[in-house]
Amino acid sequence: MCVVILCFLIYLKTRESYELTKHSGIKYFRDAFLFFGLSYVARFFFSLIFLSRMAFDIHIPRNIIMPGFIFIMGYLSTIGIFYLMFGFLWKKFDNKMIIIAAHGIAALLSIIAFTTRSHLILLYLQSIFLIVAIILSIMLHKGKKITQTIMFYYLLCALWLINLWIISRIRPFSFGIDFFIDLLFEILSLILLGYIYYKISKWVK
Amino acid sequence: MIRLVIDTMKKRDRLEVIFDILSIIQKHHNSIKPTPLLRYSNLSSSGFSEYYQELTVKGFIKEIISDEKKYITLTDKGFRYLEKYRLIRGFIDEFEL
Repeated sequence: MCVVILCFLIYLKTRESYELTKHSGIKYFRDAFLFFGLSYVARFFFSLIFLSRMAFDIHIPRNIIMPGFIFIMGYLSTIGIFYLMFGFLWKKFDNKMIIIAAHGIAALLSIIAFTTRSHLILLYLQSIFLIVAIILSIMLHKGKKITQTIMFYYLLCALWLINLWIISRIRPFSFGIDFFIDLLFEILSLILLGYIYYKISKWVK
Repeated sequence: MIRLVIDTMKKRDRLEVIFDILSIIQKHHNSIKPTPLLRYSNLSSSGFSEYYQELTVKGFIKEIISDEKKYITLTDKGFRYLEKYRLIRGFIDEFEL
């Protein structure tokens, strides 16, 4: 829930900057955090439903909840990744067509994951997008000084990838260790988002 | 592609040009006639009218008539832009947006 609040705070904090400048980079940046926030809301509700099933013994078949959750979260998080990329790349491309294509790809990806009922497809494809984003960013920064913030973007992407693997419920270790690893990455994600929020707050007062 | 690059450059400089125009108005005690504003802003007349239109539509500046002469003044939004410009610029540069 803290991640959701941080994502929405980043979105709200940058509102005035966008309203004053109508700067495309700011628009994509804040929209990315809006989509990430919404995808975490979806994840939060899924966890709530899952917990209430256990706590109140309400029987909602998993095969009904899971595909819907995959569809919503898949779409929101994929489009969030795309928008974060657009924040960097908007100067290089014609925006309108690429945005439509990005929404199309995100929708297609979610539909594939929904129909196949496989979150692994979502996981693999999003992992590819993130790796492409990191490679593109490295290519764009070739010869330039990489700022501390850009390094944190890379880390955030890496953490999102790890986060996807956590969601996928691939459990190579015993329950105790897996729980500890989950918790560790949740805390790391929170620290990184907190840092980005702190950096933004410094500029956007 | 060339058009896109030109558009991008125009877009990149846009925030700065807007800041310059608004600063000129502020430095002239928030009241300046259109002709000196055009001269001080270092823009072509077509470029100037484009920005002038944009700033009026977005509510950064407004026209007032005094002694049958037209003056341009900043609105509250214009003052806010000036106040926030450096921070917003810092934010854009820091996050490479």
